[in-house]
Order: sequence, then structure tokens, then C-alpha cells
Amino acid sequence: MTENQIKTKNRTQTKLVLDVLIFIAFLIAMEPRSSGIPIHEWLAISILAVLVVHLLLSWDWIVQTTRRFLGKLNTQTRLNYLLNWSLFIDVMLLMLSGLVISEVVMPTLGIGLPRNFAWRGLHEFSANLFIILLGLHTALHWSWVADTFKRYVFQPIGRVFSTNAKKDVSA
Amino acid sequence: MKTLGRILIILTAFVLVMGITYTVVSAANTASSSTGTPTFEGGEGLPRPQGVQPQFPNGERPEFPGGEGREFRGDRGGGFGWILGAVKNMGIVAIIVAAVVWLKNFQRKRDRETQQVSE
Repeated sequence: MTENQIKTKNRTQTKLVLDVLIFIAFLIAMEPRSSGIPIHEWLAISILAVLVVHLLLSWDWIVQTTRRFLGKLNTQTRLNYLLNWSLFIDVMLLMLSGLVISEVVMPTLGIGLPRNFAWRGLHEFSANLFIILLGLHTALHWSWVADTFKRYVFQPIGRVFSTNAKKDVSA
Repeated sequence: MKTLGRILIILTAFVLVMGITYTVVSAANTASSSTGTPTFEGGEGLPRPQGVQPQFPNGERPEFPGGEGREFRGDRGGGFGWILGAVKNMGIVAIIVAAVVWLKNFQRKRDRETQQVSE
């Protein structure tokens, strides 16, 4: 395996682990009634930090697509690019409205912001929109998700079982 | 250094989107409050009509049985509620993924058939 291939493999594995973590964190953060406000708020802020890493890992694709957006580009990539921007803006709306209506994080930091119904409404709207956009984002990357899971999760597990089976037969 | 620059660009985008949103929502709030639509500093509850005082036994507001009683307090539902919510969110994502993947496959199949017919 060349150095480049190893680099790509490591990057793909990191991306997979990170995406799974973001998804699990999102499932927990989306249920503040059960997880509690402190977990909801601090977890959301950690997701923001992980999102920066997610964007850094996709940096080359973002730069290339931005450059070619007005030129020659296939429909799916263009759609994907627009959807990713929508998702980015929606996450920002979700985070900002969450920070404004925050009951734990902002008071802990000693920051008081004027709250009202508009921010709560915006928070709920952007949270509902986020689920839909996340579904579309996952759908457009489904072949990558399925391939990566197969290569780095299912196949290694299958190999472990087949090795154990061979050991049992030889014993 | 390259990574730091990229992080800075991402954070600038964060701040830009958040700044624009904050300005727009604050401006909309100011406009609505000047036209008489009520906004509340506390963010919750309806305004009390003028001259009307709340009536509680002993003159004090009774505590809610479950504590403060605000939305999202975090002590409702328990573990089962969390699982139901997570399953619901996962279900929505799964339905969207299944629908889009099915549509994409259907479109690809149709394109292939059209290509075969034209050949």
C-alpha cells in the first residue's frame, strides 16, 4: 500500500468515526426533555467543534466544487453543494437561537441575551428542518456510507469470524 | 498553518451567518414591538392584564409537583422517552434516505432502459 493510499484510508476511517459520533450526539441532543438542558446545550456546542473537523476533512471537495460551481458540474454535485450550504446555514440558525435562549451555557459564561418567542420559534423550526436536511445529506452520500461501513466495519468483523471458524476446524 | 487558516475561514463563515441572523431577528423583533405585538424579556408566559393580580392561596405561588415546570426541564420522559425520541428521529432520517435512494435507483434504471431502447 502506497503512502497516499494509507493517508486516504486513515482519512476515510476518521471521517466515518466522526460522522457516527456526530449522528449519535445529534440523537441525544435532539431530546432535551429526556437528556436534560445542560447535556443538550453542552453537547450541541461540542457538535459545533466536531463539525469544524468534519468540514476540514471535506475541505478539498468544498474548494473544488466552489471553484467549478458556475462552470461545468453535474446536477447531483451541484445539488449536493447547495444542500450542504443549506445544512450549514440551518445549523448556524439552530446554534445561534439555542445560544440566545440558553438556560445553562450563556448564564454560566455570564452572558445575558434578550430572549423572546421569535428565538424559541426559530430554534424549533431550524431543529425540525435540520432532521429533513440531515436525511437528504445522508441520502446523497448513501453509497459512500454503505461502502465505507462495508469496508471498515462489516468486512473486518466477517474476517474475524471466518478466522475463528478456521481455527476451530483446524483444532 | 494551512489548517489554522482553514479553521479561521470556517469560523468567519459561522460568525457571518450568525451575525446576519441575529441582526435580522433583532430588527424584526424591534419592528414587531413598535407595532404593539408583545415580546417578553423572560421569553415565556403571557402578559398579565393591567390591574389584575394573580390569586394564590396564602398569597404565594404554589410549587409545581415536578419542580419548576418549564419546558425542556429534563426530568420528564426518562430513558424510555429518550429512546422513543431517538427512534422517531432515526425513523425520519431513514425514511428520507430510503425514498431518495429508491428514486435515484429508479431514475438510473429508467435511463439505462431508455439507452438500451435507443441502441
